[in-house]
Amino acid sequence: MTPATHEERDTLAAEYALGLLEGEARAEAQRLESADPEFRASLARWLGRLAPLLDEVEPVQPRARVWARLESRFGPQAAGPVQEPPSNIVQLRRKVVLWRSWAAGATAIAASLALFLVTRPDAPPAVAPAAAPAPMVAMLEAGGSEAKLAATYDPAAGTLVVVPAVLNGAAGHEHQLWLIPRGGSPHPIGMVRPGQPMRMKMPGEMMPEMERGAVLAVSVEPTGGSPTGLPTGPVIASGRFSRS
Amino acid sequence: MTIRAPAHAPRAGAPFSSAFPAGRRWCMTGMMDIPAGVIAASEERRRLAGTLAAVGAGSAAAMADLYSRTSAKLYGICLRILRDEAEAEEVLQETYVTVWRKAAAFDPGRASPITWLAVVARNKAIDRLRGRPSAPAAGLDAAAEVASDEASAFDLVAEAEESGRIAGCLDELDPPARTAIRSAFFEGASYPELAEREGVPLGTMKSWVRRGLMRLKGCLER
Repeated sequence: MTPATHEERDTLAAEYALGLLEGEARAEAQRLESADPEFRASLARWLGRLAPLLDEVEPVQPRARVWARLESRFGPQAAGPVQEPPSNIVQLRRKVVLWRSWAAGATAIAASLALFLVTRPDAPPAVAPAAAPAPMVAMLEAGGSEAKLAATYDPAAGTLVVVPAVLNGAAGHEHQLWLIPRGGSPHPIGMVRPGQPMRMKMPGEMMPEMERGAVLAVSVEPTGGSPTGLPTGPVIASGRFSRS
Repeated sequence: MTIRAPAHAPRAGAPFSSAFPAGRRWCMTGMMDIPAGVIAASEERRRLAGTLAAVGAGSAAAMADLYSRTSAKLYGICLRILRDEAEAEEVLQETYVTVWRKAAAFDPGRASPITWLAVVARNKAIDRLRGRPSAPAAGLDAAAEVASDEASAFDLVAEAEESGRIAGCLDELDPPARTAIRSAFFEGASYPELAEREGVPLGTMKSWVRRGLMRLKGCLER
């Protein structure tokens, strides 16, 4: 039976969070968890209240066989043969490591994310590793500005990943990304926020431009982005995509 | 943070203490005069959040790193509830498979990474102890069942302000309620088991525990 009052449902959530329930009562709690957002919120609050007790549990090192069984599910066997990363990725890593040492505190984590993100193949490399074109990278910075961002473009998947290693936000403005084809004018391709790596699908018409060495730039714009469709504020970082 | 090849074995005995330092204040952030240990804890929290984000983006190397830094804690939780090595190992594996699949949905603004991982592991251990429901209730499709599995763990509210207080609030309860709540939480004891241990009718145990839970809530909200 579904508990009638709010208090009864909160009690059921607490009992379920504690792990007390069996049989019918447990099934009812599970049904409410998937069907009733209020119950789920109540359950989440109880889990949050109780969770700090888990600090009392002593860690116990699991046997190596657990990881050995797990590894194949996300390890190299699952992802295909291990490949040496292209040299430009190695360079990007070094650069990001350098940026990390400049950047303080929270921004370090954004930089370390870049290390992981650039290593992730979008298409399984096992399918056609030899045919896949190497990723392109761009390091975005500019004199007189602290902003530093790393960008990678994977031509095989058509995805662009931009990681802000150092980017300081301020109220009332946003950072807009622009892709500038060689000899062309800037195309707005999205917003980037401090501390948040962003990943996007490259618009199809821009893909050939990437191969010709397009520039990625960040400008400061009013909230909502440039009203004109072209950069209106200062460009605080830019860099050209390359493979070398 | 260094990059490690996905094939690396996890570091044996990786210190979990940095994620779970002694005391119960491992989730505190944003306060003045924070002790050094807590600053280290909040650094570790940020680092784990970054690792989890990378796991969400599909990095096997990040997964190896996450496992090496959190598996001892999660295995301790599974073992405490299941008291059986083979079962605890299986649940630990299930936990990391779930984390691999769902990490992208983790929101560091709502829970600390280690709290989320610990709650997912504990929920799975309790599921194992109780056995999965024999058949889904009418009208529930498989997707809804899967969704219910860890949905609440994803919704976990940041409990930073409460983390130091739950133990203190438990101490304020009557001893029978306190013992019952702790046994349920740490061992997965059910109502009938608790009633039998204490030699009281089931109804009595239920009312002790329910009253205790409501007092606990009141204490934490003070």
